[in-house]
Amino acid sequence: MRITNRERLRAIVMMTVLVAATLGCSKKAASGEATESQQAELSAVYTVNYPLSYFTGRMAPADTRVVFPVPEGIDPAFWKPSADAVRELQSASLILLNGAGYAHWTRYATLPRARIVVTADGCREEYLRIEQSLRHQHGPEGEHAHSNLAFTTWLDLRLAACQAGHIRDALIERMPKAKDSVSAGLETLERDLLDLDQRLRVVGKALDGQPLLASHPVYQYLAEAYGLSVQSLHLEPDQNLNDDDWKEIDAMLRQHPANWILWEAAPLEATEAGLLERGVTPIVFDPAGRTPAEGDFLSVMKANAARLECAAGVKPCP
Amino acid sequence: MRDSIYLAWRYLRHHRTKTLLLVLSLSVFLGLPLIMRAMSRATQESLLSRAEATPLLLGKKGSSLDLVVEALYFQLKGTEPITEADVDAIHATGLALGIPVRTGLTARGFPLVGTSVDYFPFRELRIADGRGLAMMGDCILGAAAAEALGLGPSDSLLTSPSTLFDLAGVYPLKLHVVGVLEPSYGPDDGAVFVDLRTAWVAEGMGHGHQDLGSAGPDVVLKRNEGIVIANAKLVQYNEITESNVDSFHFHGDASSYPVTAAIVVPHDEKSGVLLRGRFVDAETRQLVRPARVVDSLNKQIFRFERVLEIVVWTVGLATAVMFVLVMVLSWRLRAEELRTMTRLGCSRWKAAQIMGSEIVMMVGASVLIAAVFGIVMTQYGETWLQNLILRGA
Repeated sequence: MRITNRERLRAIVMMTVLVAATLGCSKKAASGEATESQQAELSAVYTVNYPLSYFTGRMAPADTRVVFPVPEGIDPAFWKPSADAVRELQSASLILLNGAGYAHWTRYATLPRARIVVTADGCREEYLRIEQSLRHQHGPEGEHAHSNLAFTTWLDLRLAACQAGHIRDALIERMPKAKDSVSAGLETLERDLLDLDQRLRVVGKALDGQPLLASHPVYQYLAEAYGLSVQSLHLEPDQNLNDDDWKEIDAMLRQHPANWILWEAAPLEATEAGLLERGVTPIVFDPAGRTPAEGDFLSVMKANAARLECAAGVKPCP
Repeated sequence: MRDSIYLAWRYLRHHRTKTLLLVLSLSVFLGLPLIMRAMSRATQESLLSRAEATPLLLGKKGSSLDLVVEALYFQLKGTEPITEADVDAIHATGLALGIPVRTGLTARGFPLVGTSVDYFPFRELRIADGRGLAMMGDCILGAAAAEALGLGPSDSLLTSPSTLFDLAGVYPLKLHVVGVLEPSYGPDDGAVFVDLRTAWVAEGMGHGHQDLGSAGPDVVLKRNEGIVIANAKLVQYNEITESNVDSFHFHGDASSYPVTAAIVVPHDEKSGVLLRGRFVDAETRQLVRPARVVDSLNKQIFRFERVLEIVVWTVGLATAVMFVLVMVLSWRLRAEELRTMTRLGCSRWKAAQIMGSEIVMMVGASVLIAAVFGIVMTQYGETWLQNLILRGA
């Protein structure tokens, strides 16, 4: 088949038009589709620990999804989220951090800064420090220590109320229409927290600086707020204590002759017996950092306060 | 008429070299001004559209053009940084969203951009493959960077040392490629995005190392009263992994860490006006409207373009004169040929038709070549011209 010159010319023109049209259309497609982040749930509030989750739940409107993403059985302070979990957090409309270096993962996870509220920031001039943290030097920067802040801020219930106040502000900023209900929620929550605060103050006065031990260095804010003289050890309630642990306890008791030791959970029977032999009574004071098996933050803290009241002789033991 | 066109076509085919040279020189004459103008317009529009999509930009007081060029187009200008505290201050006003942008380093020749996750929805950037940033040490590649580097999710990429001959300087950081962006036909395509803190680690402001509590005597110089002093043997990590990410830390106050600029996205028009008002008398900071800055750059480009156009038209005119001269000389050389045609019975009008057809065909071919070349250059020369303008800005 012979192609005529006319046909050849027509083919060239058509190809040119086709190339021009293709190139002209290859620019960015219409950006009307929603981006990944725009699909974020506008009513999801994520928290890094249970107390913040509880406070938010007491104030937020009923249709707000309050998410405490840490799996059961894991201490939220030391949770290491997966990349998928972080991606889920990025979709939150509000992320409530505790502050004071709590939840170390928030330092290395990529979170949307604009949607983060650090609840304890601004509640006090300085966070308390953990005395035992190791300081080191390995270059011209000078000495430093990693994560040496005490972080169970909510055990000072006035500080907890302040954190709740910051949550209120953040909720109202994002949901101005719910201002009245959120403020009302804070009012009742504050009342509950300050009642507890008052009870613990009475305990502090009754103990009058009597020495206390703590199984873990998590009671710094409790001690400071209520005038308790607490020295901390590193003991786990669900583990048998070895000889070194007992030696450490004995050494501590010589320096700090305590009659009580605070535990995050009830210790093993053998541990309790060994302590009672030494004249030290275990008292469970659950910091409630993770979701309790029974009840809620308030009931756990009330039970904590009752046990301390009992030990201090402020109220009869149940 | 068809016979005249046929004869003209046969003549042009027979004198291929002469025809080709004439067509090419005519194409340049016709195409150059059009291409220059189209490319310039496309570049100006592209620059302006990105600037217009960025409401406000906060940076250190100084050249607003350098600030815009570095923060929006990732062309390194050595802009003085502001601090993280400035971005926090923007958030604290409650008037706008502040998106930090940290530039300065490169990864295999592509700019490393430290930012927050808010950047991607703001620029309408979507992940084509993989996932978004989630952890320190992750990086996302722009479409062009991914293609040029031949990398994709689960590959790794080393940052380039900031100073080649600084042996005591910061070691390259191995980044994990977790995603590739869809093409956006802008500067984001050629960038490597990381979390702001990853950028700081790459710059040497943060680091991770082995646990000093359990370090052996070969590493520890001195250990007393809770203070450990390590020697140079201390293993510092050059990759952030799941197992060592906990050890990464920053010394000093993170709020004083550098940020090249902050993209400021006011919640509404009034917030924008209020914010601008707050920075009117700021001594060390400037809050600029990138669209205005780029508009003034475009005006300068336009002035330069006018000068260039005069030069191009002058050259074009010379080309046209040359074309006419070549044609006239050609007709003189073809006088014998024309006489033969007349003897064969061809009218003068027919001869003129043949000559005219030759000119029309050559001019037509030149227009076609100039148009195709113009479209291609407008499409693909835009980035080249944009880079040229921004480097020189």
